[in-house]
Amino acid sequence: MIPIKYNLRNLAVRKTTTIAAGMGLGLVVFVLASVLMLSEGIQRTLGRSADPDVAIVLRKGADAELSSGIADSQVGMILANPGVAKDTDGQPIATGEMVIVLLLDKIGTEGVSNVQVRGVPDNVMKLRKDIRIIDGRAARPGTDEVIVGKAIRGRFKGLDLNQSFELRKNRPVTVVGIFEDKGSSFESEVWGDVKTLASSFGREGLVTSVRVRLESPAKFDGFKTAVEGNPQLEAQVMRETDYYEKQSEGTSIFITAMGSVIAVFFAFGAIIGAMITMHASVAHRQREIATLRALGFPRSSILFSFLLESVVLSVAGGLIGVIGALAMRFVKFSTMNFASWSEITFSFEPTPVIMAFSLGIAVVMGLVGGLYPAVRAARMNLVQAIRGG
Amino acid sequence: MNLVSVAAKNVGRNKGRSVMTVLGAAIAIVLFVLLQTVLSAWNVGVEAAAKDRIGTRHKISFILPLPKRYADDIRAVPGVKTATWANWFGGKDPKNPNSFFATMAVDSKTFFDVYDEMKLAPEVKEKWLEDRKGAIVGDVLAKQLAVKVGDRITLSGTIFPGDWQFNVVGIYEATRKSVDRSQFIFHWDYLNESIPEKQRDTIGWVIARIDDPGKGADISATVDRMFDERDIQTATMSEKAMNLSFMAMLSAILKALNIVSVVILFIMTLILGNTIAMGVRERTNEYGVLRAIGFQPKHIVVFILAEAATVGLFSGLVGLALAYPIVELGMGRFLEENMGGFFPYFRIDKSTMAAAVGLGLGLSLAAALIPAYRASKLSVTDALRRIA
Repeated sequence: MIPIKYNLRNLAVRKTTTIAAGMGLGLVVFVLASVLMLSEGIQRTLGRSADPDVAIVLRKGADAELSSGIADSQVGMILANPGVAKDTDGQPIATGEMVIVLLLDKIGTEGVSNVQVRGVPDNVMKLRKDIRIIDGRAARPGTDEVIVGKAIRGRFKGLDLNQSFELRKNRPVTVVGIFEDKGSSFESEVWGDVKTLASSFGREGLVTSVRVRLESPAKFDGFKTAVEGNPQLEAQVMRETDYYEKQSEGTSIFITAMGSVIAVFFAFGAIIGAMITMHASVAHRQREIATLRALGFPRSSILFSFLLESVVLSVAGGLIGVIGALAMRFVKFSTMNFASWSEITFSFEPTPVIMAFSLGIAVVMGLVGGLYPAVRAARMNLVQAIRGG
Repeated sequence: MNLVSVAAKNVGRNKGRSVMTVLGAAIAIVLFVLLQTVLSAWNVGVEAAAKDRIGTRHKISFILPLPKRYADDIRAVPGVKTATWANWFGGKDPKNPNSFFATMAVDSKTFFDVYDEMKLAPEVKEKWLEDRKGAIVGDVLAKQLAVKVGDRITLSGTIFPGDWQFNVVGIYEATRKSVDRSQFIFHWDYLNESIPEKQRDTIGWVIARIDDPGKGADISATVDRMFDERDIQTATMSEKAMNLSFMAMLSAILKALNIVSVVILFIMTLILGNTIAMGVRERTNEYGVLRAIGFQPKHIVVFILAEAATVGLFSGLVGLALAYPIVELGMGRFLEENMGGFFPYFRIDKSTMAAAVGLGLGLSLAAALIPAYRASKLSVTDALRRIA
């Protein structure tokens, strides 16, 4: 076998072309990995909002919290069903929540954007155990105080500690705390008192959804049948995990589809780039190749050697791309989620699978791009090559 | 035969490489054109916004309604010619709940006067006004829902629960490319009479036509001032500003697409530059000979740049030739017919075409600058001694 050192040295000698081709491949891998990381980030951010023990009750036919509405009087009927977990005082661990989107001025751009505001009752922390106040303090129940998720803190006018914004004219609310929730989409929301919100928006006596902690995930089917079977309620029950998966679907499919189209075109471009480089490399080394053949290296080893060179080139480029993509972890991507019409901040989340896949694509590009030049090298006519070149 | 045409002929010396280079750069151009077309398709709503229309919505949130009497109040404002209102209905085709299209309950008497780019024959409009459950749909949506005039259709309401029955009485004609051809429009009265009393007599937004587009800002301010002391405040702005504020919600995606566009151009420059550098290196000997027989360094530069320009021009043209059928025959038609709500008009802009060819040429020249400069600086003896 021809030693790999031969190929490495050759790549090093033709620095400019090696760097150009490697960078092309690296950029493809970078874009591919970034898009997959973003799509993963969207699914995970919304997925983290879901608790497998929690069921969400919406009005029948509503496809999201925003279009749903349940009368206060029905909440008690929903919670009376079997399977609902109780706290030490015997109260059901459940919340009737109200979701509204507010148009607020986005800092750093000229536009406004929708921010999701969630009205929650005072027992919400029993349902959402992972919420932690990281700055300031919790809002007092029944007041005009709100807390803001850390992902949108400072991104909109009025959404930072001790600032305030209006729910309606002369009805300002004050931000008293900043909270985090293990990177879930709640971190892109504002939380206030459900009664304060309902009265500000003239929606007294109404909630948008009811969240119910179940005694165990196995109790879900029984609870669902009981609620949906009650003709007075006209409600639908979903597991939170299913609900949030559906919420992330549209945006995540959109990003993946668009990113894939881009990556496929990029890949073609990079394959051709690698091909040109390897092609030239073979053309310049006719005499060397002929010499190797004359020394007794079989055609197969020439083929293998040039393919290897191309793969080495693509792996080097791919590694640069993957490392670059890892740096995207520190970039926040804030955009409108199609399902809720409101801004959610996502991050690029790497997984070993995404990294390995992207690198694998680099190897494939190297193989495809290197194949034709390598075959040409292997099939070279010995006599002609040694004379020419 | 002048120097430039000789240089252009040089492209044919290594045919395989030239073809690959042009192909590689052309693919980059195709992607560039696609992305720019996506961006301009989104912008069509902003650019084609009517200058004489202003919109009024709830100040705090677009999901909160306005009282119906606000529409009459706005009609009374000096400078306002006519006004109409609509409610977002959020209807879905029960057979295909994942497809998205706009469903609106509108003030039937005035809607088509304000939106005059949507044309309806007078006799169809008359028939519609008489049919309480009548609906007017766009031609793209009619195809998607597989309905024709005279059919009955049931939509399920996401915001207003239940099954809603409609009679399709007409199809509007879009006279401007920015018109979403997949809207579903029906009588606000039908909605209002069918919902619980508590929710009645509210409207989603008001759109007004004004006499003088130049006074848009003043009239908007007057409208907002008028409602400032009432229970519900409003935000009024030009149609263009409204569409722009919607685009702002997508700003991160737009920015990402623009960054990717730049990256593509960068990759293209790499591919072109790589080929040019290779060609120059291989021919260093020849440049030595040319210099030895009396050509100046500037001739060498022209030689290299002219060759690069030829390759770049070809790349741009081939890229455009590939992108055109993809967009005009494939993707564009598909998106307009299936995602008309997002992309009412998906075609390549003339400016995008010009940019594609211009960038192919320009970036190729830019990529050639360094090799050309280096080659011109080589001394004759060095050049003659150099082996590729």
